[in-house]
Amino acid sequence: MSVLPPSDLPRESLSPDAALRRSGVWIDYGACVVRVRSPMATFAAQVGLLYRNFRLSRGREFADYHVSVDFGRGLRRYLRPTCRFGIDGVEPFEPFPVGNALPMFEWGVNWCFAQRGNQFVLLHAGVLARGGRAVIMAATPGSGKSTLTAAMMLRGYRLLSDEFGVLDPSTGELRPMLKPVALKNRSIDVIRGFSPDAVIGPVFCGTRKGDVAHLAPDAASAAATGRNARPALVIFPRFVAGGRLQLKPQPPEQAFSRLAFNSFNYALLGPVSFHAVADVAATCPAFELSYGSLDEAIHCLDDLLDDARGEADAA
Amino acid sequence: MRPDARGPAGRHLLPLLGDIRHVLRMSLADWDETLRLARQARLLGVIAHRIEREPELLAAVPPAVHGHLTSSINFAAHRLQMVRIELADLEAALPAEIDVVLLKGAAYIAQELEFSRGRMPNDVDLLVARRDLDKAESALAAAGWEAETTDAYDQRYYREWSHELPPMRASGHALEVDLHHTIAPVTSRTRADDELLEQGRTALPGSRYCVLAPADQVIHAVIHLFQDSEMSGRLRDLVDIDGLIRLHMRSDDDWRQLRTRAERHRASGLLWFALHYCHQWLGTPWPAVAGRSEPPRPAARYLMDLLMRHACLPRLADGGEPRIRALARGLGQLRYHWLRMPPALLARHLCHKGLARLSLRSSG
Repeated sequence: MSVLPPSDLPRESLSPDAALRRSGVWIDYGACVVRVRSPMATFAAQVGLLYRNFRLSRGREFADYHVSVDFGRGLRRYLRPTCRFGIDGVEPFEPFPVGNALPMFEWGVNWCFAQRGNQFVLLHAGVLARGGRAVIMAATPGSGKSTLTAAMMLRGYRLLSDEFGVLDPSTGELRPMLKPVALKNRSIDVIRGFSPDAVIGPVFCGTRKGDVAHLAPDAASAAATGRNARPALVIFPRFVAGGRLQLKPQPPEQAFSRLAFNSFNYALLGPVSFHAVADVAATCPAFELSYGSLDEAIHCLDDLLDDARGEADAA
Repeated sequence: MRPDARGPAGRHLLPLLGDIRHVLRMSLADWDETLRLARQARLLGVIAHRIEREPELLAAVPPAVHGHLTSSINFAAHRLQMVRIELADLEAALPAEIDVVLLKGAAYIAQELEFSRGRMPNDVDLLVARRDLDKAESALAAAGWEAETTDAYDQRYYREWSHELPPMRASGHALEVDLHHTIAPVTSRTRADDELLEQGRTALPGSRYCVLAPADQVIHAVIHLFQDSEMSGRLRDLVDIDGLIRLHMRSDDDWRQLRTRAERHRASGLLWFALHYCHQWLGTPWPAVAGRSEPPRPAARYLMDLLMRHACLPRLADGGEPRIRALARGLGQLRYHWLRMPPALLARHLCHKGLARLSLRSSG
């Protein structure tokens, strides 16, 4: 949530290392502002790379979550160095190996938001937009959602979020929750080969999700974290190696249940989320999209978004 | 008491809990700190509900804070629903001939007490007479509630020396059920007068459940805070007591009755402390007739002050835990065990737990 108008916060030329050590760095993700502190130089350099297009600032009045990334405690620190993630004295995870501070931080911010962001319906979905109209890409893990999300950003879509589709039930709009896109295993090289513009951080091997590397959000997406988008299209993507492009329309009731049951807090919000998700299912065309080629899938999505606009104008 | 003696909680959290109109004096930076403290103390839902009731106050809250209030209101609504579901299921499971009293959170919810809106109960606390305990337990077991611990020592500990059975849970249910047969641990120096409790309870209209007499509700909350917790992070228990006092203590007679009942339950000293901190921190009314001028011994007061200020109140976690806080938390744990168990029993218990931990370590 944006706290001060952007004009009050000129982008600072800041060394994340020094700032992280002292009072911390405030990162504006759109749906929340996180203040993070850390004494770890390697972590700071990785934050500097992956958040290069973000407005990082110091000494803001307000953060939604205050977190820390620290070295592990005690003697173990010298034998098998670890790191730990903390929010207000709570450490939700077991310590990670010291080299995996960045993925730990990324998961930590997801954890904070999933636990405490219950003013929103948190869909498990990537969200991308063109001209304020959003595609919700909802899918179960392993379906290639993050890969397609990353590819769409690299072809000019504005990225709002990869992990969370943040639906605001009070407006029906999607809030950005812009974070580096976590690419897993083979999709790391796929995206590296997909575009020379892809800025990808170091590969972290052997995490609980296998090998993970992060794609930095582009400048246009990072500049727009204060702007919401309207849901226009719902896609359930499915990558099929060598498969042909296939588009299967989903009736609203099916779109509803697939969105709802893939949400982090649907049950918790009860009637609030029922109405918000039902509105999306009733107003947006929905399709299951099987694809074998990223570019083919993106062309198809371009057309669907144009069609959806045509239908909305006609209606 | 100097405001700084209460640490950061004294700046805005306590004033806010004492009078929600304090919102009008808070800046965005004040909220930054207060949200963290309130969430740590699990009081954000209560604060959010109190603000939401008054549009003028809600309008004074900075936009960046609104989402946090909404989030905790939504979360508390979910918990409330969980408690209602649990109570309905328990109602079907418990034999009709047993009188069942609701305690604490579940009782406040069933009585629809305004002060408790936004509370986030973790469990459902039920009280039955000791003579009905076995019957109630087997009825719950037949309906699918199982004790979370099957360890023989733990089972024996709860049955012989505690005031409740080990926590029970039914599969697919979100909340634990604690089945009590009295309100204070049976080995502790505070002994609730079970007969008095039983005489005072009232049936809830349109429900199979009862609640304790208002004064006994206060005393149970007091005993729970000071005897049945390590006091660390238990500010919300004090907020419950404040709410009950403001609701139920309307006349000198009410206060006199509270005093008399506290004496019968051997909890007068604890009640004094509860009223003292409620009064100091939350501005709870505390008239002279309530025994205000009869404080416990200075040494006890000094120790209690250490515990309450450093362990009970939430603090910001930046920069690690100060030594005094770690000390106070340690003392709180020690006191908890000391109060519940006579020294010989305590030594035996600690020995058993220590050995169990050792053998766990060597096998893992």
